[in-house]
Formats: sequence, C-alpha cells, structure tokens
Amino acid sequence: MVDAGQIALVVALVVTTYAVVASFVGAWQRIPELTASARYGFYSVPPLLLVSTSALVYAFVTRDFSVRYVAENSNFAMPHIYTWVAFYAGNAGSLLYLALVLASVSAVSVLTIRKRLPHTTPYALGVMALIVGFFLAIMLFLANPLERLAVVPADGQGINPLLIHFGMFIHPPMQMAGLALVAVPFSIAMGALAARRGGRDEWVDLGRLWGMVSWLVLTIGLLLGSWWAYTILGWGGYWAWDPVENSALMPWLAMTAFVHSIMVQKRRGMFRMWNMALIIVGFTLAQMGMFINRGGPVPSVHSFAQSTMGWLFLAFMVGTLLLSIAVFLWRYDSLKSRERLEAVVSRESAFLGQNILFLAVAFVTLWGTIFPVFSEAAEGTVITVGRPFFDRVNGPLLLVIVMLMGVGPLLPWRRSTSRSLIRALRAPLAAALLTMVALLIVGVHQPVALVAFMSVALAVGGILIEWLRGVRSRHRRGEAYPAAFLNLLTGNRPRYGGYIVHLGIAMLAVGIIGSSFFSVQRDVSMKPGDVASLGDYTFVYVGATHTTQPDSAQSVVAFDVYKGDNFSGRMEANRAFYPVFRIASTKGAIRSTPIEDFYIVPSEFGSDDEAVFRVLINPMVWWMWASGPVLALGIVVGLWPARQPAPAVVRMPGGAQAARA
Amino acid sequence: MERRAQALNQSIMCPVCPGESIDQSQVALAAQMRGIVSEKLAAGWTDEQVRDFFVERYGPSVLLQPPTEGIGLAVWAVASLGIMVGAVAFALAVRHMRRRPAVERDSEFDDEASDVDLQGYYTRVEASMRESDTEERG
Repeated sequence: MVDAGQIALVVALVVTTYAVVASFVGAWQRIPELTASARYGFYSVPPLLLVSTSALVYAFVTRDFSVRYVAENSNFAMPHIYTWVAFYAGNAGSLLYLALVLASVSAVSVLTIRKRLPHTTPYALGVMALIVGFFLAIMLFLANPLERLAVVPADGQGINPLLIHFGMFIHPPMQMAGLALVAVPFSIAMGALAARRGGRDEWVDLGRLWGMVSWLVLTIGLLLGSWWAYTILGWGGYWAWDPVENSALMPWLAMTAFVHSIMVQKRRGMFRMWNMALIIVGFTLAQMGMFINRGGPVPSVHSFAQSTMGWLFLAFMVGTLLLSIAVFLWRYDSLKSRERLEAVVSRESAFLGQNILFLAVAFVTLWGTIFPVFSEAAEGTVITVGRPFFDRVNGPLLLVIVMLMGVGPLLPWRRSTSRSLIRALRAPLAAALLTMVALLIVGVHQPVALVAFMSVALAVGGILIEWLRGVRSRHRRGEAYPAAFLNLLTGNRPRYGGYIVHLGIAMLAVGIIGSSFFSVQRDVSMKPGDVASLGDYTFVYVGATHTTQPDSAQSVVAFDVYKGDNFSGRMEANRAFYPVFRIASTKGAIRSTPIEDFYIVPSEFGSDDEAVFRVLINPMVWWMWASGPVLALGIVVGLWPARQPAPAVVRMPGGAQAARA
Repeated sequence: MERRAQALNQSIMCPVCPGESIDQSQVALAAQMRGIVSEKLAAGWTDEQVRDFFVERYGPSVLLQPPTEGIGLAVWAVASLGIMVGAVAFALAVRHMRRRPAVERDSEFDDEASDVDLQGYYTRVEASMRESDTEERG
C-alpha cells in the first residue's frame, strides 16, 4: 500500500510537469490538442494524490512505524481519530495535504472556467500545475511523507499534545487550504493576463468567485485559530500578533481588498491594473504565510514544523513574484482602463480608499513581523516588535475601516450629490448617536471605545435601514413581508450577500472592541475551599481530581460560580501534562454568554492542590465566534448562482448599471 | 496596582517562549517574572524602573514594544511612512482617474480588433471542446 502511494506520487509529479509544459506550449503555439491533453493529465493528479493520501492514512491506521512520518507523528496510544490531525501535523504530511487540496480545487476551478474563458484557461492551468508541481517536487526530493525507516521502531513518538483539541481538527487544514486556495484566483488572473485578456472583463466574475471562496476559507481558518488559542492556550486572549498569526492575516487583508476592488472592474471596467497588482500581492503574502509557518526566520509559538525547507518556499515566492511582475509588464498595454472617475465622493473612490487602508494594515503587519530579522542583521541586536506596536498602529487603521464600512455601501456608483449623501447618511448617523447615548447611560466612557461602537452602529444601521426600505417598497407593491424579504435577497445576491458579510464583520468588531477595551483579569492563588471574586462574580474553588492516563497526567479543577447572589453553575477546567513532550496543555473553564465570558484557567499546582488561577471577564467575545456562520452565509448567498444567467448586466451601458446600484 | 502589573506584564516578553508576553505565557519563568513585577510595584518602583530592570537582565529584546530611539525608531518611522505613502497614493490615483477624458462607454469592447488574429484559434479551441464534451458524455 505504501509503495503504491509512493508510485502515485512520482506519477503525479511527472504528469504535473507534463501539464505545465504542454499547457503553456499549447497556449503559446495555439495547439488545442496539446492544451486538452494537459488538462486531462491535470485532472488525473487529484486521484493520484488521493492514492498517496490513502496510503499514508492506511499506514497510520495499521501503525506501520516503518514509515518515518508515521513513526514521528503517532504512537500506539494515539486514538485513531487523531490520524486526521497527524496527517498534517508535520512538514511532509502537510505538504501532501496542501498538494491534494490545491490539485483538487484547481481541477474543479478549471472545470468552471474552461468554457467561459477558453483562451485564459490553458495559461491558468499551467500556473496551477506549476504551483502543484512545486509542492510535489519538495515532497519527493526533501520531505517524503511515505519514506521508509531502515530500522523500524517498536513504538512511534506520538502526536504533539497541543494539537489534541477539537479546533485542531479544522483550524490548520482550513488555514492551509485558505493559503493554498489563493493560488486559484491568482492563476486565473495570471492566465487572463498572459492571454492578453486581463483588460477585458470576462475573467472578473470567475476571479471574484474563487477570490471569495479563498477569502471565506481564510476567514474561517483565522476564526478557528483564535478560538483554539482562546480555549486552550490558557491566557484568556485570542490574538497576540504572533508572527504566524500575522502571516495568515496578511493574505486575508490583501484578499479582502481584492474581493472589493474586483467589483469595481465588474461594474465599471476600472481598476484593471490595480486588481492584477492586488492578486499578485495576495498570492505573494499567502506564500509568505507558508514560508513563515514552515520554519521561517521569525520565532513563534506556531513553530510546530521547523525546517530549512522554509527557504525553498521563500525562493519560490520570490520567483513567482518576479515572474508575475514580468508578465504584468509584458501585458501592461492590455490593462489600460479608459473609464473616468466621475466624482471624488463615489462608491469607486470608497473602494479605492478601503483597498489602501487594508494594504496599509498589511504593510504595517508585514513590517512589524519581519523587522526583528532586519534589526538583527543590521545591528546585531534583536528588537522585539510585539502586541503594543500592532495595537497602536493598526488599531486606528482598523477603526477607520469599520467607519468606511458604514459609509461606503451607502455611496452610489459614479457620483453623488451632497444632498443625497446627507439623506442616505441621516438614519445611520441617528443610529450611531443613539448607540452613543445608550452606551453613556450604561457607563461606557472610553472615547476610543465609544467611537468604535458608533462606527459599528453606523455600519449596521446603514445596512438594516436599506434592507428595511427595500422590503417595505416591495411590500407596498403587494408582496407579503417574508416574500418581499426573500425576493429582495434573491434579486441582487451579490449585494445582499455582501451586506450579510458586513453584518458578520460588525459582529466580529463588536467582539474585538468589547474584549480589548473592557476585559478584566486577575491572577489568584487559591486552596480548595477558598473563595474569591472578580467583578460581580464570586467563585469557590471546590477541589481538584488527578488521574493518570497512559500518555498524560490530567488534573480537573472544579469551581462553583455565583453571579451576584445567583448560583450560575459548576465550571470545570482541565490541565494535562504530557511527560513525553514535557508540554502542559490547559483548557479553560468558560461560561459564555452574548454579554460576557467568565473564564477560569489554572496555571501551576503547588502542594495540597493549591494553585494559581487566572480569572477573566471578557465582554462580548461570544460575538466573534458567532460571526463565523454569518460570514459563511453571506458568502454563500453572494456566490449562489442566479437561476437565470443574466449576461445582459455585463453588457448594459453604464447608466443603467448605475440605476441598479 | 493589579491593572498596572497587568499592563506591564503585557509589555514584557517571556525570554524562553519568543513572541509571547509574560502575561500570556504558561511557563514557570513567566510566572516567576510576573511575581517579580508585582513585588517591585509593591515596593514602589515605577513602570520605567521595572522595565529597565528586565532589560538589564535579558537585553532590549525583552520589551515587546520597540523603543522610540535608535534602530527601534525605524519600526515606527517606516510604519508611519507607509501609511502616509498610502494616503498620497490614494490622492494621486483619484486625481489621475479624474483627469481621464470622458469616453463613449460602448467602446469598452473595441479591443476586440486586436484579437482578430486569434479568431481561427478560438474556433479550433471551441471545436475541440465540443468534441471533448461529447466524449465526456459518452
């Protein structure tokens, strides 16, 4: 079985190499037979990689420790269900996972684009195959997941205990898939550019579709990562501006800019060069994410899989960046846009402003992340750039972004008069002011937090009021309210999908603002029977129970928690120590409500079960995790294909489009 | 006092677990350093004195916030510069796009002409796709 997987891997690399050459040559020399053969060859790569993956899974399940990767990432004590996690826990396995995901999604994307973009597809496929080929080559020559050991160990080393958490079943694969998926819109864009179709707007719909898919996967990956950090890293926070977090955030920022600015090209035929530049930046940052994750130069808590392989990723990143820039310059003429920006106050310029802001955040993040490397090289002193820097510089930028989210969607395309602008902003501004008054009454006085909450209220108010207006006007034409709501939604899916996503982002913002401005924490040392309090919570340390598992020592501590005078329940936190890895993993006891989380986490134990506990009240964190499904719903609504394709919209003269906006 | 200690803890890095503050880290050294912080504060030290104490022991990299002098200044300066460049780029781009002459919108697709030489190719591509479609169905 393992040998079959090995052979499949080799065949996959050969086929992929052929696909790269045949696709580019076929596109260049205009030989459709050749590009078709490249395509069919490429379709065979996902099944081949599935064979290799099955071989690896089989080796895990049968505890075949003659396979080095299996011996290094599992042992007899590991339950079979963790095979999934062990599959991508190490370098070699994660490469196989990445290649499988990328090849499969690329093949599917080729199916979706090849009829609508016949000239672009061969080039795009060549680019996709090139990227898949890179992963396959690294695997075969440097980090083969199916490599055999000369001496078969009696038992494996086991899996990193920090990975034994529900979040780990989804966060790393989502995050990796998100980073890999950026390659799909990138390939489509590069294909369009190489085929001299970048200035024609036909690639835009499909580029947008795959851009949004990768955006959603990245978003969910980031949210799950934060959730994992919040529940298991035991410090009560969810985001620390750690280099690897940053490296996953940067492509997300660039892709957020891209999925917005691509709309301007779709609707107005503008920003053609800008969109190309953005997707190149997005893809480069995604590769940088993989590079930093694969043992880059910046130390981080995520350094699960350190190796020198990172440098190859860096080389590939620089190579693809230079190549993209070359293609960009080569096809520069085809990207000229002749559309004029009609007014400074317009949807178009709001999108441009949004783009610049997101890139500014990405730049600050990139700079802060890589600066320690520079300072070490330049002066030999390591300077740490940590959370205070990012909070101070990115915080205000993010605040402006949230404000813009409130105003931007209310601006019409092309131009707006100040009268209509004021009319559109009147109601949302009222909502923002009402929020301020309400918050002042509740006792929120921090000016920055007030402004932040007001911006969110502006955004939410704008969306809800517009939605309400639409439903009401449809209702007046004789539709019942539910029908009016649904028809409005299905009538313009991209628009309302976008609104739903914005609502999700507003929820996320509420969670971040609430927890970063109003979190309270305390470290208390307690013996069983002790009582302590924080805010209006009182908690009694009931005691601890210790058990020994084959792989770990587990301690479960119980608390009786009272809010005011009401008993709100018993909470249990867990601390496990894994002697093999000398790693302790803690799982906080969290009582989560939309208003606030009450969070207890044990750190060290002394004699007689005396222990230090960190206790936190984190307001509004619940909204962050709840935003995930809302964001996903918004993307699905926005991308759900219309029942009747409406090509008319694309060709409609600009005036009619503006009327629809 | 507790708030001050917390703020200080969040600005000091745990030397053995790079990237994490001592507030965040779960290792014993971080707990010990948290203890030192609250001890010193109780003894009446200022925030600055506590920070200097740790810098003396572990070097400047122990501070999570880069200093506003020497090479640390570059972190702040370049970040601000980047944001300003962004703002200027926005203004320039808007001005540039405003200056474009108004065009007939229907001419958006007139770059069709440059593709005339490709027409033969498209016909062949489409023919081959029809073929492959029938193959797939069969």
